This record gives sequence, structure tokens and C-alpha cells, in this order.
Amino acid sequence: MSILASLANAYERLPDAPPFGFSSEKIAFLIPLNEDGSVACPPVDLRQNDKKRTPRTVAVPASFKRPGITPRSFFLWDNTAYALGVSGDGGKDAAPRHKAFRDYHLESLRDAADPGLRAFISFLKTWSPRRFEDFGWPEEMKDQNVVFCLEADRRANIWLHDRPAAKALWSRLSAEGERTEAICLVTGINAPVARLHPAIKGVWGAQTAGASIVSFNLDAFTSYGHEQGDNAPVSEAATFAYTTALNRFLEKDSGHRIQIGDASVVFWADASDANKAVAAENIFAGLWDDGDDGSLVVDEGMQAQIVGARLKQIRDGEPLASVAPELAEGVRFYVLALAPNAARLSIRFYFEDDFGAIAANYQRFLADMRIEPPPRDGQPALWKYLAETAVLKKRENVPPNLAGEWMRAILGGTRYPQTLLATVLMRLRADEDVNALRVAILKALLIRNNNRKDTPVALKPDYPSKGYQLGRLFAVYERIQSDALGGKVNATITDKYYGAASAQPRKVFGLLESNSKHHLAKIRKQSPGRRVQLEKLLAEIMGQMSPDQDPYPVAFNAEDQALFGLGYYHQRNEFFKSTKNGTPVEETAQ
Amino acid sequence: MLYGIRLLVSGERACFTRPEMKVERVSYDVMTPSSARGILEAIHWKPAIRWIVDEIHVLKPIRFQSIRRNEVGHKAPAGKIKQAMNRGDLGDLQIVVDEDRQQRAATMLVDVAYVIAAHFELTGRAGPDDNEGKHLDIFNRRAERGQCFHQPCLGTREFDARFELLPPDMPPPMAASEHRTSALGFGATPRDLGFMLFDIDHAAHGRPSLFFRAELRDGVMKVPHPNAPEVRR
Repeated sequence: MSILASLANAYERLPDAPPFGFSSEKIAFLIPLNEDGSVACPPVDLRQNDKKRTPRTVAVPASFKRPGITPRSFFLWDNTAYALGVSGDGGKDAAPRHKAFRDYHLESLRDAADPGLRAFISFLKTWSPRRFEDFGWPEEMKDQNVVFCLEADRRANIWLHDRPAAKALWSRLSAEGERTEAICLVTGINAPVARLHPAIKGVWGAQTAGASIVSFNLDAFTSYGHEQGDNAPVSEAATFAYTTALNRFLEKDSGHRIQIGDASVVFWADASDANKAVAAENIFAGLWDDGDDGSLVVDEGMQAQIVGARLKQIRDGEPLASVAPELAEGVRFYVLALAPNAARLSIRFYFEDDFGAIAANYQRFLADMRIEPPPRDGQPALWKYLAETAVLKKRENVPPNLAGEWMRAILGGTRYPQTLLATVLMRLRADEDVNALRVAILKALLIRNNNRKDTPVALKPDYPSKGYQLGRLFAVYERIQSDALGGKVNATITDKYYGAASAQPRKVFGLLESNSKHHLAKIRKQSPGRRVQLEKLLAEIMGQMSPDQDPYPVAFNAEDQALFGLGYYHQRNEFFKSTKNGTPVEETAQ
Repeated sequence: MLYGIRLLVSGERACFTRPEMKVERVSYDVMTPSSARGILEAIHWKPAIRWIVDEIHVLKPIRFQSIRRNEVGHKAPAGKIKQAMNRGDLGDLQIVVDEDRQQRAATMLVDVAYVIAAHFELTGRAGPDDNEGKHLDIFNRRAERGQCFHQPCLGTREFDARFELLPPDMPPPMAASEHRTSALGFGATPRDLGFMLFDIDHAAHGRPSLFFRAELRDGVMKVPHPNAPEVRR
């Protein structure tokens, strides 16, 4: 199914979806009116009591984009500049905006007989922005969205736009300016086509006012003389459905979104049973993002415990059919990654499959990533791996596009992006931090992209690869140096030579070999046994390389560089292991 | 099928842009009928014939990749070109790329191969000299030699298509056995491709788009006849 069609289907199943013509907006204040249009009491603060004072999300007559300089007001609600003619920034634009609000409502409510709407008309006729100060209304109200209600309705939580007369009027108003009909490419039926699509809000890095997936904002994007929405005929109803569903999923804490690199990823499940869908969604969220402190992003309490236990089983490689048999079949799962491009949104990837297949692919990814010794903090979430590809390991430095491509490869079980290899190798050379996460990425790439299925998980002394063996050798030289000079060397050979040794071994290894002679001589004076032990190790590694086949090649390709990193990591950690256990590296020395 | 041909087309990349996502391009999963028609017309077309695509076989797994490119944001305006021609002076007729950059993302297909099964019908503009056998021979000869009026492409001009005529008696090529998965519609349920662009109706007022409900069954997408009720107009 296409992206828009599956989103439109998801709208049908939203538990509390706003009806057609309405949209969920952040409303901060409520102004109660008497029937004669006077203000009944000071505005009611609708914001939540959290630190940020988040406004309440309310279904109100749908907002729309307001490009250009001609002010256009929303129906029965708006921000204070429009509704009251008051704004925080000096109020330069407030007067024309309030005039637009006033004119629009006086015009459209002219024939209204409903007491609520009559009260609103009287209010608009008597209101002047100066009264805001006279009433002493709070400063923080400025530029927030406000709604109105009749004082008599306030207890019942019925607001002005909820009154039946207002709803009837709105359905008439919003249908005005009927559009030409065409075949809708989402539903396939003949229906009025949307000219502009509502904005999608909440994509990380996009404009706060919202951005569009479907827009034709330059003439290079149009075809056959069509204008705006006619280029891609989508019916008003389908437009409303897909934007509403997507905006709901993109909301913070919706339980349907995660941030992977620069891609805002939303996901949703489609199952016969809503509980199954929620369970699948919770597990999916947990697989990718476990928070900074390892806590789950799913609901508190029992739910978190169940999901946590299931996650652990999945990560340990148990098939989904035994962990959660009800989810293994018949749960369709959708993943959509969006990336901003100023006022437009681009689709990084869209993925659709059975949940069982996604879980299986994720487990394959984990198997690819398995490395000995394992990362210190256990199996990390994907974004921690991604941070390893970024300068200074900062989340905002992750190369664009990489996160999306990688996640797509993981979900689909396809080849990993080749740029990932280049990026990790570059980071290794730049900051010489050969850690478990980076080496795990290298190994996974070798297995899936270079078809080296036998890439070792743990140290494999007889692994037939020049890169791997030279990586080991490099680790041994480093060890010899630190044994000879102590742990307080300002610049170790890794700091100085890792980049060169992994890419152009011939340049460096001759030098390293001659230096190691001096270091070994020094070690002999302090501990002859240790020297024998290290020399044996050197000889053992050299024995893996046949001298007639050029042990130190001029240059290594990316694959060999990756194996170099892997060999280095394995051998180096072997030393740590031996010191910890107190047993020597190979056999005991004389 | 009388006068039917089968053409194997392949390429490293392809982008059969969805109309709703033609700005930040996203490709359809499978080649569209209008794109297949374009390839056939690149090899042989005359006003006397009209190509009808019958089936599109998908031979490779459907894989996507996304890239970002710098492109130009405007078209050369036809009106201004006309003015300049009448005036006999190029004047300000120009688009300066550096001042009109648009960065656009594209999610396109990689490593594709399709078999287009199609036939043609004679149109009202066929003269007494035109008959099916003649045009079929011309097409087969040209396709065999690799001749084309312009380089056929896979959706967009920058992704050129390699083509190869399949002999009529050859069994239909199929995706490799390891790729015959549910992703290509093998198995119990076909892969639902949603509504797909069939073509643009250039004859109708306003040049509306035509759509049809596409599905991939055992690696094959059946394409309805342009006059069939399955084509929504």
C-alpha cells in the first residue's frame, strides 16, 4: 500500500480522532462570555501544570497555512493577536490581524440565531485591545491560542465551537469554494481535490509552523500545466485523514515516534485487535530507543515490565513466535522516516511488513553486531551506534541520510549502507578510538556487504586475512611499547600510527618493527620471561603470514582496513583479559 | 497474444515518481505502465500505432536508496521564450543555476530488471500502408539491433535503461529462486501496490491523471487495457 493510503487507514483506527474539518490544536486559555457578550470572568488557564506549562490539545475548527501578508483568521479560535488584537512583540501586526478576525466572524455569523454565537458577535463589537490591560489579564496569555465559551456551558465543558449551531455553520463554511473533482490517488474515487495540504508538525529540524509532504512550491515541480494539488489529485477527505494521523503520530510522547539521527521515525501497527497493535508498537519502540538511562519509553508500571522482559528475550535471539506468539502473525507493521528540507518533508524511507519479519530482521542485525568482548553497557540502542559515526560523538553530527539508510537496511534485512563503512573507518583514523561499538559495526558490514560470513566474533588466531593479522601485530607492538615504557607514554604508537598502519602498512610496520627491538631489549632487563612471551606471540602472528606474499602491502582497501580494526580490537582485549585473570597470554614463559 | 512482444529492461537505478511525492521524489515499487510505454515508444512509434502494456514482470528484489541532489527550481517560461523569439532578442531569457538552487531528496529504486509484455493496436491515423505485421517487424528489428529514437529511461531521464528483445518462444524469465518471496507477491497473498498512475489522459480537458489498483502476484503486475473499467478516470 502507498504511504498516504496506509496513513489514511491508520486515521480510521485512531481512538479519538478529530472529525473531518477539525484539527487538534494547542489551546492555552478559555474566555468565558455572558449572553450579552460581556466577559464573564477572567480567562481560564487550560495549560497543564508541568514545568513547560504545555497547552491543552483540543479539537477545534481546522487551522490552515497562512502564507503571505494578508491576515486570515481561524474560526472561533485563534492566537491573541487575531482574537483580541494583543500580542507580545509590540503588537505591530496585531491591529490588522484582529480586524481580519473581527470582520470574518461578523460576516460569517451575521445570520446566527444561536445565543452562543450572538454573544460572540456582541463581544466582538464591544471588544477593544485596550481592555486587555484594563482587565489586568495575565501577560503570559499573549500570543497563545484562545477559545471562547458561554459561561452557562463552562461547567459542561462545552465550548463555543462545540455548540451544534457552530458546528453546522462550520461544516457549511469549510465546504465553501468547492474544488473540482478528480480521481483521488489514495482512495481511487471521484472526489473534490485538496488544493493545499495541511502542515505536518513535529518533524525534528523542520519549520515549527509545520512542513508539507505534498506541496508544489516552485514551478519546476509541476507538470502538464497543473496547479498546486491538481498535480497529485488527493481528495479533501484523504488529505485530512493522512495529515491528522501523521500529526498525531508525530506528537511528542505519542508512543509512535522515535528519533534516529536526523530522521524522525513514526511507526504504527495494524491488527485485528487494538491491544495486539499496541503491544507490537511498544516492543518496536523498545528495540530502537531505550532512553539515556536504559529505561523504557513505553507506559509506566506493569506494561513496562512485560515489554522489558519480552525485549530481553528478543534481544537474546528467541524467535518472536515463542516470545509473543500473538504478534508473530497477522500484525502488519508500518515504519515511516521523515527528514526535513526547510518547508518540505522528504521520505527517508517507508517500510511495511509483518511484525514477525521485522523482529526476525532485527535479530539478524543483532547477530551481525555480536562481538567479543561485548560493549561495556550490554546491547546498546541504535542511536548509540550512530553516535560513533559522528564527530565528537554528538548526536547532531551524525551524517545526514546515514541513519535512515541504515535503519531501512536493518528492517528489510538488506545490505547496510556502504557509506557507513567509510564513515567508521574515517572516525577510527581521526580519533583512534577502537571501541566495541565501532568494531561491531565493521564486523556487521563485512558479514552482510562483503559476504565474509566467517568474520570472527572473538579472537581467532588463525583467521586467514592479512588485515586481521596485521591488526593483531599492531596491538602487540603497542603492548610491547607500554610494557617497556609504562602506561604513561604521551603519544602511544596507536595515537601516532593507527591511521597510517591501517591504511598503508608498508609505510609504518618497518619502523614499528625496529622500534619494538629497543622496547624488547628494555623489557628483557626488567622481566626476561615477559620478553619471551611477547616474542613468541610475534612469531606466532608472523607465522600466519607467508613471507613470499608481501606481508606489508602498500595499501589496504576498505575491507582490509575493517579487518585490521577487528584484529586490533581482539588482540588488544586479549591482553586486558590476561592481566585481569592473572594468566599469561599464550603458554607460560620459561 | 497476437503481435505481442516482450522486452527485458534493466538498469542500476530507477525512479518511477509518485505524483504525490514528486517534489521530494519517492518512487513507486514497480515500473508504471506509462513508463513502460515510454520505453517502447523510444524504440519504435508512429502515429499509426498505440502501445498497450499488458504485464510487467519484476525480476529483482525491490530495493530503495535515497540521495540528495541540487537541482534548479524553475522552468524556462514558455511565454518568455515566445516573446524573445518575436522580439528577436534573447535579453533576460535565462535561469541562473547558482541563484535558483533547490536541494531535493529522492528515494529511488536500485538494481532493477523488468520484462515488459505489450502489444500494439492500430489507431485511427493508420493509413492503407499500415498493417500490424509491418510495425511488428520494424519494432523487432530495431529492438534486436538496439536502435532507438532516444535513449529509453527508467522513469527519469538520468537513469537510462538497457533493453533486450526476448524471442517469442522463450519461457518467461522469473526472479531468482531466492528472491521469490512475499515481497514480490509470491506465496498466498499478492503484494498490494496501492493505486498507481496509469497514464495521463492528454485527450481529456485538463489532462487528468488515470489510476488503477496495482498488485504484484508471483512477480507479475497485470496492467488493464486503457479502456477497461479498472482504469479510474
